[in-house]
Formats: sequence, structure tokens, C-alpha cells
Amino acid sequence: MALIEPFAGHTPMQAQRFSPYSDNGGTIVAIAGEDFAVIGSDTRLTVGYSINTREQSKLFRLSDKTVLASCGCWCDVLTLTRVLNARLQMYNHEHQKEMNTPAVAQLLSTMLYYKRFFPYYVSNLLAGLDAEGKGAVYHYDPVGHYERNQYYAGGSSSALLQPFLDNQVGKKNMNGVVQEPITRERAVAIVKDAFISAAEREIHTGDAIIINIIDKTGVKEERFALRKD
Amino acid sequence: MFLTRSEYDRGVNTFSPEGRLFQVEYAIEAIKLGSTAIGISTAEGVVLAVEKRITSPLMEPTTIEKIVEVDKHIGCAVSGLIADSRTMVDRARMECQNHWFSFNEKMSVESVAQAVSNLAIQFGDSDDDGGAMSRPFGVAILFAGCDEKGPQLFHMDPSGTFVQFDAKAIGSGSEGAQQSLQEQYHKSMTLKEALTASLTILKQVMEEKLSSTNVEVVTVTPEKFFHMFSKEEVEEVIKDIS
Repeated sequence: MALIEPFAGHTPMQAQRFSPYSDNGGTIVAIAGEDFAVIGSDTRLTVGYSINTREQSKLFRLSDKTVLASCGCWCDVLTLTRVLNARLQMYNHEHQKEMNTPAVAQLLSTMLYYKRFFPYYVSNLLAGLDAEGKGAVYHYDPVGHYERNQYYAGGSSSALLQPFLDNQVGKKNMNGVVQEPITRERAVAIVKDAFISAAEREIHTGDAIIINIIDKTGVKEERFALRKD
Repeated sequence: MFLTRSEYDRGVNTFSPEGRLFQVEYAIEAIKLGSTAIGISTAEGVVLAVEKRITSPLMEPTTIEKIVEVDKHIGCAVSGLIADSRTMVDRARMECQNHWFSFNEKMSVESVAQAVSNLAIQFGDSDDDGGAMSRPFGVAILFAGCDEKGPQLFHMDPSGTFVQFDAKAIGSGSEGAQQSLQEQYHKSMTLKEALTASLTILKQVMEEKLSSTNVEVVTVTPEKFFHMFSKEEVEEVIKDIS
């Protein structure tokens, strides 16, 4: 069947659609321990095959016991974290106290849902200590569904890393495992290994990782180089 | 040209030359006509006790509500123009639910007092739609609650000023009751002692004879949260006081 061209000899006119989102890649990982939480991100920011920068941390320190990791559409990350910081500051002034991690977790969910029909195109992981001082990790979808987990991977390599964490942290799909609380050293080592593996296979992740370790004494930061190609 | 005093006391937006807002001061006077309410804060919890004025034997005493639940962990007792208090209690409840919705945590007692205070001082606001409040609220409120800081009692007057108290009386018998509270209150008071003290003092300042139908008693504790005493429970407490 022959198609009849409306304007013979010309390609049909196509309306240029406005696309408000871009995917700037990046990977984030978090693991919760008994009395600590570890959260890490790579530092590469991309658009397609181009690298915008090799040194952009995707971690945001919200307080002495809460750190947010955020990636996806970078301009949305910037706006979301600015509004979130403003909300935290307003809470400080209104209630004369620092917001605890579960409260930040709920606030972030509400903020995301308020943009239900023009969402922030962002993957979020929130790590910190809960009211009892236990390690906590929360993960989000872009419209505010959230869940507390022991470990989670988000961003461009999430599909690569989640099964790895399921096996190494969750001890899934193994016979004769002993379930014991993860140590700080092991958690940091797993986060490093995860990013090294991701950088080998996935081009939007690489350059370096920033790891934040949160415990009752505060937040400690570590840096670790990844392959740069 | 100076206005005379009788003219300065008209508007809520005009200070007198001595720096006073007469309408606010009159509103504070208005609560002294209200029924007496007493609050005592102890380490175990907070007690609220109010008198209900039964002005007619044909009246249904249970329909007078002067202590209300704001949230599971906060209650408040009111004295003065009760209709005004409904608006403020409404705001307090709304703020508590809003806080829970946004932060998934209980709102602190102080923050609730602050939120209601913000409403109380809006009387001077002008509004093109004519939706503004024309006068201050004629109520004093006692907020009793248990949050992460433990049991707490806050008092707020029609000017929107709120202050934390160990024990506080409001309403017509407040002067005498406050004096008695000062004599009887001590830091190591138990909840039971506070209950008997509040009803003993209420009995002293009430015109009618105190009974289980003309008082309302509430405790707010970390374990049971807001608890309104039944007729039987009130009688149990009254039995202990002479």
C-alpha cells in the first residue's frame, strides 16, 4: 500500500516538542548498619556521551545525622535540594530543634508528591540515624513513594548494583549464610566495590566516589578514585 | 489633637498615648468572667480541671465542653467566650494534623501554642475582602500535652502571649486559685496528688457545690495520652477530698 505524501518532495512538518527533562546520569548507594549509615555517590555528570564535569558530588548534608543523595535531572536535583534546605531551616526556626531523619524522610516524600503532575525527575536516597540512633536508609521514586530499607542503589547503575547488594548485604540467594549485622568497614568496602564494578560497565558512572559515614559523632567523608574513561 | 480615652478604646489598630491597646486589655478582662480552669504539670503527666456552670436545672451538663482533645497527646482547657475558642481549637487541630502529614511526627506542645498564637494576633489585620478579624479572641487557653520534652503546660491569653507554667489557673476564680496553687505545688508532685489538688482548689473557688456533673477532668500522660475522666472516675477523685 502506497502512502500519499501530503506535500510531495518535502518531508512532513514536525512540531518541535519541548522536553523539560534531561538525564545527567550518576549512581548513588546507601547501606544502613546497627548504629551507622554509609551513603555514596560517583562524581561524574553527563549528557549523553559528553561529560559535563568529573567532580560533582551528589551528596547533600542536611544535618549532623542526615545525608541525602540525589541524581537524575541535575537541574531538578539543584532545585529540590535548595527547597528542601529552606524547609529544614524553616523547621529549625519554627520548632527550635533539628529535624530528625524520619521527619526529613516524610517531608521529602510530601515535597515530591506535591509535584505529582510535573515531577522532579530525580532518584533520591536518604541516609542517617533514626530517633533510637539506629542506621536508616530511605529510598524514593520520583513522585514520593518511599520505603525504609537496609540498603539500596539508585541512579543510572541501580539495575546493575541492586542485585549485587541483595547478594552481598542482604545475603540473598546463598546457602548456609550467617545473618549478622554488617560492620562499618565491610559496608564501606562494598560501596567501593559496587562503584568500581559499575564504572567498568556503565558509562554514566565514574571518575570518583564520595562516601559519607554517618554515626552519633557526626558525618565523616571519604574520597576514592574511579576509572576516568 | 489628642483623642480622649473613650475614643482610643474603639479600634484594635490604635495605641493610646500611654502605649496601650485597650481592646486587648478588655479582652483579657473578659476571660475573668469565664468559668475557672486549672492546669497542673507533674513529672508523670498533666492534669486539667474545669468547672461547668450549670445555670439551669433544665440544662444538659454534658453538652458543655471546656476541655477538648487537640491531638492524641495534647488537650486544652478554655475559659472565656467559648465560641471564640472553637476557632482556635480548630486551628490547633489542623496544625497538628498538618505537622503529622508533613513530618510523620507529633507536634510539640510549644509549637501548637505558637501556631494558635499566630492566629490570635491576627485581629488587627485588614483585608480587602472584609474577611479580617474585627476584635481579639475573648478566651484564655491552657495547653496540656506530652511530647519529647515530657509533660508540659502552656497558658495563652487573648493578646497571643504564651508562657509555660508548672501550674496555672484561669477564669473568674483564677486569682484565689493561683494563690492556692502556689502554696500547694511542688516539683515532686505525683499525678494523683495533682488531681486531688486541682479539685480541692476548684471546690474552694466554685460558687456551686462541686460534683461529678459540674466539673470536667482530663489527664495527659506519656502512657495513656489524652484521657477524659468518666463520671465514675471523677467521683472516685472527689471521694478523697473533704
